[in-house]
Amino acid sequence: MEEKDRKKHRKKHSGPKADKKRKRHLNDLGLGDDEDARKRNPKAFAVQSAVRMARTFHRTQDLKTKKHHIPVVDRTPLEPPPVVVVVVGPPKVGKSTLIKCLIRNFTRQKLIEIRGPVTIVSGKRRRLTIIECGCDINTMIDLAKIADLVLMLIDASFGFEMETFEFLNICQVHGFPKIMGVLTHLDSFKNNKQLKKTKKRLKHRFWTEVYPGAKLFYLSGMVHGEYQKQEIHNLGRFISVMKFRPLTWQTSHPYVLADRMEDLTNPEDVRVNPKCDRKVSIYGYLRGAYLKNQSQIHMPGVGDFTVSDVSFLPDPCALPEQQKKRSLNEKDKLIYAPLSGVGGVVYDKDAVYIDLGGSHAHQDEEEEVRPNRELVQSLISTHSTIDVKMASSKVSLFMDSKPLGSEDVENQEFVMPKEEKQIDLKTGRVRRKAVFEEENDNGASGEEEGQDEEMSEDEMDGSEDGDGDDEGESDKEVPGQDLGLRSAKRVKREETTEEAGMELPAFADSDDDLEMSSGEEGETDLDESKEEVEDHGDEEESDEKESSDSDSESSSRQISKLTPCELGREDKEQRENHNLDHRLGKKVVPTTDSGNCTAEEASDSEAEGSSLEEEEEEGLNDDSEAEESDRKGIQSAPEKNVDGVEWAESKVVEDEDGGDDIENLLKEEEEYGEENDLSADTAGALKWKEDLTQKAAEAFLRQHQSAPNLRKLVYGTVAEDADEEDDAHEELGGLFHVSRPDKESKQKANALDCSKFPVETPQDWDLDEVMNSIRDCFVTGKWEADKDAAKLLKEDEELYGDFEDLETGAVHKGKPAAEGDEAGSEGEEEDKEGKEPKAEEEKNKRMDKKRKLKAMFDAEYDEGDATYFDDLKEEMQKQAQLNRAEFEDQDDESRVQYEGFRPGMYVRIEIENIPCEFVLNFDPHYPIILGGLGNSEGNVGYVQLRLKKHRWYKKILKTRDPIIFSLGWRRFQTIPMYYIEDHNGRHRLLKYSPQHMHCGATFWGPITPQGTGFLAIQSVSGTTPDFRIAATGVVLDLDKSITVVKKLKLTGFPFKIYKNTSFIKGMFNSPLEVAKFEGAAIRTVSGIRGQIKKALRKPEGAFRATFEDKLLMSDIVFMRTWYPVSIPAFYNPVTSLLKPAGEKDTWTGMKTTGQLRHELGIRLKQNKDSLYKPIVREKKHFNKLHIPKALQKALPFKNKPKNHEKKAKPTKDQWRPAVIREPHEKKISALLTALGTVHSYKIKKAKLNHRQHLKDYLKRKHKEEEEKFKRQKEAKKKLFRIMGQKEKKRQKSSLKGSREREK
Amino acid sequence: MASQPHSLSYVGCNFLRQRLVLSTLSGRPVKIRKIRAKEENPGLRDFEASFIRLIDKVTNGSRIEINQTGTTLYYQPGLLYGGVLEHDCSPHRSIGYYLESLLCLAPFMKHPLKIVLRGVTNDQVDPSVDVLKATALPLLKKFGIDGEGFELKITRRGMPPKGGGEVTFACPVRKVLQPIQSTDPGKIKRIRGTAYSVRVSPQIANRIVDSARSILNKFIPDIYIYTDHMKGTSSGKSPGFGLSLVAETTNGTFLGAELASNPQGQGTAVLPEELGLNCAKLLLEEIYRGGCVDSTNQSLVLLLMTLGQQDVSKVLLGPLSPYTIEFLRHLRSFFQIMFKIETKPSHEELQGGEKVLMTCVGIGFSNLSKTIK
Repeated sequence: MEEKDRKKHRKKHSGPKADKKRKRHLNDLGLGDDEDARKRNPKAFAVQSAVRMARTFHRTQDLKTKKHHIPVVDRTPLEPPPVVVVVVGPPKVGKSTLIKCLIRNFTRQKLIEIRGPVTIVSGKRRRLTIIECGCDINTMIDLAKIADLVLMLIDASFGFEMETFEFLNICQVHGFPKIMGVLTHLDSFKNNKQLKKTKKRLKHRFWTEVYPGAKLFYLSGMVHGEYQKQEIHNLGRFISVMKFRPLTWQTSHPYVLADRMEDLTNPEDVRVNPKCDRKVSIYGYLRGAYLKNQSQIHMPGVGDFTVSDVSFLPDPCALPEQQKKRSLNEKDKLIYAPLSGVGGVVYDKDAVYIDLGGSHAHQDEEEEVRPNRELVQSLISTHSTIDVKMASSKVSLFMDSKPLGSEDVENQEFVMPKEEKQIDLKTGRVRRKAVFEEENDNGASGEEEGQDEEMSEDEMDGSEDGDGDDEGESDKEVPGQDLGLRSAKRVKREETTEEAGMELPAFADSDDDLEMSSGEEGETDLDESKEEVEDHGDEEESDEKESSDSDSESSSRQISKLTPCELGREDKEQRENHNLDHRLGKKVVPTTDSGNCTAEEASDSEAEGSSLEEEEEEGLNDDSEAEESDRKGIQSAPEKNVDGVEWAESKVVEDEDGGDDIENLLKEEEEYGEENDLSADTAGALKWKEDLTQKAAEAFLRQHQSAPNLRKLVYGTVAEDADEEDDAHEELGGLFHVSRPDKESKQKANALDCSKFPVETPQDWDLDEVMNSIRDCFVTGKWEADKDAAKLLKEDEELYGDFEDLETGAVHKGKPAAEGDEAGSEGEEEDKEGKEPKAEEEKNKRMDKKRKLKAMFDAEYDEGDATYFDDLKEEMQKQAQLNRAEFEDQDDESRVQYEGFRPGMYVRIEIENIPCEFVLNFDPHYPIILGGLGNSEGNVGYVQLRLKKHRWYKKILKTRDPIIFSLGWRRFQTIPMYYIEDHNGRHRLLKYSPQHMHCGATFWGPITPQGTGFLAIQSVSGTTPDFRIAATGVVLDLDKSITVVKKLKLTGFPFKIYKNTSFIKGMFNSPLEVAKFEGAAIRTVSGIRGQIKKALRKPEGAFRATFEDKLLMSDIVFMRTWYPVSIPAFYNPVTSLLKPAGEKDTWTGMKTTGQLRHELGIRLKQNKDSLYKPIVREKKHFNKLHIPKALQKALPFKNKPKNHEKKAKPTKDQWRPAVIREPHEKKISALLTALGTVHSYKIKKAKLNHRQHLKDYLKRKHKEEEEKFKRQKEAKKKLFRIMGQKEKKRQKSSLKGSREREK
Repeated sequence: MASQPHSLSYVGCNFLRQRLVLSTLSGRPVKIRKIRAKEENPGLRDFEASFIRLIDKVTNGSRIEINQTGTTLYYQPGLLYGGVLEHDCSPHRSIGYYLESLLCLAPFMKHPLKIVLRGVTNDQVDPSVDVLKATALPLLKKFGIDGEGFELKITRRGMPPKGGGEVTFACPVRKVLQPIQSTDPGKIKRIRGTAYSVRVSPQIANRIVDSARSILNKFIPDIYIYTDHMKGTSSGKSPGFGLSLVAETTNGTFLGAELASNPQGQGTAVLPEELGLNCAKLLLEEIYRGGCVDSTNQSLVLLLMTLGQQDVSKVLLGPLSPYTIEFLRHLRSFFQIMFKIETKPSHEELQGGEKVLMTCVGIGFSNLSKTIK
């Protein structure tokens, strides 16, 4: 039995072992390797056909080049921002579950509720930002624009749904990110065959949509409400090794997916006017391109804004430091999701947030280290001193690790309840199945099953949910309690906020009060917190074991038990404080800064002064001093010049920039310098001679230091400018102004505008020294060592010098280096020393030689192979390298000024004048995106598009119907006009978009670069069973005017007709109008062409026209003209984010007339003339053609009308009477005919016979002839043979005879 | 409504061209107040009005508002349009004044620009057409603006005060510019020049050439100065003469200098020999300043670097002219771009004065006017 059970041995078919075996086998057969085939059988590989060879070569080259993309400069930063992973799919497909599982897989941490983006460290070099995308089309559009990777969840038990296809189409338009399909609900298939079939069907459908071979992942089933661990792990692996293509739009625009939002509005303003515009700070990783301060941004769903301030913060979810291990340490597996309320301590400009419980609370050992480390790290990375920070900020705190985001403390209270309700509603939703023709047969049969399955699945889901909840509760009782507590507190807070609002002014004045109150509050809450701690006790035993820093934590916990209202107030308070302090800090910084500067520059000025003196003195002593001084003169001359230039510059700037702080600085320096000079003077008049060298050194130093000076000269002290000004205003309460010398008045504001740079102090170019100063700028001057031709030549000589002349046999030796340098006197000595043969040197030389040879060979060899493409790619790579290297060694502060904020940084962006609804109706489930706009992309103008109605959209689009576009970052409603381009380039207006063809469209809206894709939808609100994307296309052109025209036919009627001239009325109203159209082509309906000549005086607007033929009074004359269409300047951004929570997908803008009519029940009144009725045509009578006699005469004969006279009746004699036969005669004639027939038949037969005979005879004859010929041939042959034989015999006999004779 | 970016406000008519050009390129409106408000003859001058008219011609949809006295100007830029145009420049400034701005704008038009400018070709104030042709055009070529339709032709020469010159400028359109890295100016290999004379003795040009050569020959033998004597209709309306010199280096850097005679009826007569000498000395000064771009074109190269792709561009300049310094400030306010400015002392002694290395990252500008088919 056992024998049978054992597995049979299976031979290996692949792998190294199998290969080896195969090889051996082949060797045994004597066939050998594959490579040898060419050698073995060269004929088989010979060129059979040159043409075919050429073709195959051509084809391979084609395929090769097809793979090439236009190379672009790789601009990915060294530390890239987290990859945006968008998890998308219809509801109830398992998105949130998947996200939770993925997070758990990467960080070993379980999130209960996920709101907004979650950033995690997934590997040593990769971070992920995972965000869920609901099926609201607004969200889908926004997220498709920023996604790097899309995980597309598909319910396998149901099949594709419309949302999936809509999302795919959105992606196609806005640059195609990587898309990975994930099939879920596979466990609902009981039948394995059915499962396989479904998988295959879905896979192929997916491939046609994405690209053949796109990865489709299968998640087979759930275990305890989660996906299987191994499968998730695999999925994670896939994600973390995935490579991404740069997408044009994303790489050319900066963007931020906000993971935090905070309201910075002055609470007083809010109190006075709750609907006032808000100031908001938004946090997130910067992606895409460099972001500049003060640049324009667009927030999809809100509108356009100008960034009022950007600053970068320490990375909250940093990549681990360099480490050699392959996997991550546990402590490096960070997670950051402030909207969901996870993530440890967060520092930013305004405040410090400590999140208690921590993201790794369940770990024992690591935990001990981590918070400490993080604290220290964040202390290190803060920019202001700890004192300043301490003074300014009191710690503002969270309650606990629960999802309550600190920043949206105020907002949450409005948001939460409604949101929950929405979730409840979910079950009653209608699914939109995407059914395709090809699948119909399957679908029909499968639908019933599907329903069944759905039912069962729903039940299952329900049960699972229940399980999950239970589990959750059992697992985490604490959170549950917390929830309860929190909600209770929230209520409390709601109550108290009003009070707080009322009392706030009283508190705000004195800090002491606040502290007191907070202290008291702390005390009062202490008891509570203690209770809490006890409650937590069970779970937190491990936590409490922890630590040295548990003290701090617990204390902070105590503080954290302040009631939220207090918290909020304190927060605000502290923010204010902080702002103040911040200003203070800033005020302090510049002064110290300037202090430094003065110190530096004082020395400079001193040096300058001294050098000036020096020069003067030299001028005096010129002749007396010998060569040395001369030399100095030469040296100092350029210096002097430089000084001159610089001083000139600085003076210019002084003149221009009177009020600038730089100038003040400069003044200070001058004073400083003067003082120094004075002191120097007092010391001794001739002291300048003493430390010339030192001064020279100083001068040199100054040169080095002048770089920042120049920068200051141009840009001023960069960062502090604006703030200082503000301070100045605020200091005096806005009532008084410090009357500074006006910057603008001092500046030569109205000076001559000229780009020339005149020489201020021309040098004397007759002097030799001056002339020598630029000697080396010419090719005749001295070259740098590495470029000097003579030197290079010599080097080459050394390397390649020795060769043997084969003709003469003479051996030329390269000159040894010593001999070569005969000219240079200094070099000789060294070389002589070097002459002692040192083995090393020799070796080095040889190596050099070899290297050079190799390089030459490489260059020669590769040159033939390098294509244009390769060159281009190399160039791009060089540029990329330069980009990376240029600012690498600078600190971020100054780097940011040059480059802007680079992608990958974690930034905080302040924006002002945001509508209050954005804050009030904030819902973390909807992504907030800040999309940077390029120059003049914030402007509006006319945009021309190439547009095609989507083939799945049921209706056609009507001109002048408002439609919602998604273009660039924006979503907006506008009124497009459709047109088609005629053959002559005219843009003709269309009433409707064509059904299956591209057409043009023009609308008035935001200017977006050409080549940007867009899509159009009729409405963003609600769901429809049909496909929602109405049209797609691309931007072609941007302009400030348009050229769309529509056809206009002007009609008129003749009222007087001469020969070819007619008078036409009714086309125009005045002679002026006619004058404008003089010479225009007109036409009658019957096709007679003509021209407008001149206006008539009598009936207003009548004119004279000539035609190619005479008109009839019944003719209608018309003129075809083109009338330019005006496009309504309607641009209405979709402000879906401003809608209250739960109604964010109900934005409606302008309605189409059709919709309005439908809603109001107004029926369209049909024009009677437009109704179709049977066409009744009257019979038309045409008069006979009448040709005048004169014309007839003139016509050539063939064209003359041939008027044949009617033939007269035949006369009696012409008229033959019919013959009527007698019966007898009839018989005779019948007989005769019969006989005739018989006779003719006989003759025919005889003829046939005769022909046959003749044929036979000829055949016979031919045969005979042939035989005869054959015979003759035979006879001839015989004869000739005999003759031949005879001849032979004769020859033989004669030969014999001769031989015999010889013998 | 897309919020219109708020306009930048300036005072005084100085640097008017910079402001209007940058405003057009960046799409930000600009307001200039107090234009010669306190002078006897307030408001915009003829040549400025002519310049504004030129800007209006090459753009489509720009809004220009000038108050009654001409002391306040509001300019809201449209899109650059281009096409075949003609413009009569004011004789108060030379064509160079207009051409400098056109050089900045021309590569970013909707249709390739082909414009005929009439006025003064050479004067003492602005860079002349000759120098721009010899220095600015090769500079644009470095950025990838090149091709058949790229030329500057002087059909007629006109000297101040009456002018009468004519210049044809044609420039192709580009979508993006290449970044440049020109940090090594190379060594001067030849000097070329044009000595022109209109409505004076044709001998004058030869006299200029001789005197200029006398100085330059000490440095390099490869000198050729063309004499350009225009007659008849192509000689404009006023007499005058002058010299423009260009030094070309091995790395394709062009440094120019020029000098023109005093306009008829103004100042004392200038000897041609003296003019030649002085001009040669100016060229030497320019060589002394050095850099990869000569002093008149500094702003142009900085602008084109700014408008490049998001790549690092570098250029080595001589000392920055006041015009350039102001231009840098304007670049910052219009494009939020700052240059890294490093002073490079000349390594070797005999290579002229101090140099400045300018580095920036382009803003990723793309030509929004160009149509795609």
